[in-house]
Amino acid sequence: MEPMRGSGEERLDGLFRAFAECPTPEPSANFMPDLWARIDSRQNLTFSFRRLANAFVTAAVAVSIALGVWMSYPRSNQSFYSQTYVEALENSSPSETMDLIGPVSLDLSDTGR
Amino acid sequence: MLVDFELIKRAQQGDSAAFNDVVLAYRKRILGTITRLIARPEDVEDVAQEVFLRLYFSLDQLRTAEVFEPWLYRLTVNAAYDYLRKQRRRQEYRMSDLSEQQVMLADASAGGKAERDDQYVKKIRESVDSLLGAVSEADRILLMLKEVEGLSLKELEKVYKVNENALKVRLFRARQRVLKAFEAAGKGKEPA
Repeated sequence: MEPMRGSGEERLDGLFRAFAECPTPEPSANFMPDLWARIDSRQNLTFSFRRLANAFVTAAVAVSIALGVWMSYPRSNQSFYSQTYVEALENSSPSETMDLIGPVSLDLSDTGR
Repeated sequence: MLVDFELIKRAQQGDSAAFNDVVLAYRKRILGTITRLIARPEDVEDVAQEVFLRLYFSLDQLRTAEVFEPWLYRLTVNAAYDYLRKQRRRQEYRMSDLSEQQVMLADASAGGKAERDDQYVKKIRESVDSLLGAVSEADRILLMLKEVEGLSLKELEKVYKVNENALKVRLFRARQRVLKAFEAAGKGKEPA
């Protein structure tokens, strides 16, 4: 073996040169088929995801439209909501309401007891 | 350019045969670059396929012919970087990997004395791989592109989209670190 010559820089350059001269591997026979298989697999994955996303968006739009239609439809029991709470209370039990809020009358004639 | 921009345009429009031709034109060069960037021949083809896969799915973003090659280099660099990061997690760098024998081989290669047999090539690759463990994956790739691939600073500027001065500083620091590791390994070889 030759003794070490030159500075570290030169020896490092020598190593890099030797490395650059190393032969590069030839592509194997399966390089292109494998590459296309990977492309197809990635495309299928993307396609499935896109289909899933489209289905989700379509379902969301359909639900939104259905909700919109349902909300805009006139309710059959709309009159129930057209009165205030107090009015609703009055209508539900007028006699009880009167008892509660009517003036108290004291019968003072029966004081002989 | 190894191919006409017309071919790339056809590939952009979804012509599979055109894309196939682009890959066939560049695969040898890309395999060579990746071999030097990652220094592990057994994984080179896998990383190269990843590069072309990324090319296939991003080809529509390419606007002009002049940027095709720097752009392909960038895809190569990114794929190699991702690979090296995964590798680093598996295998930590050890200074002792640079054995005496490897340093002697480096000396011999500088003198052009050793034979280029498979064993020798393997050891050169292992030496460089171990030596480059002294720097980050990003610096390793930058250093390889400059020192081994022979890219000029102008070309590196196009690949990295970073100004020349910043690249010079980074290259200098990376080289100093590698040199330090190389010299430390060389000292280890001398008798005590």
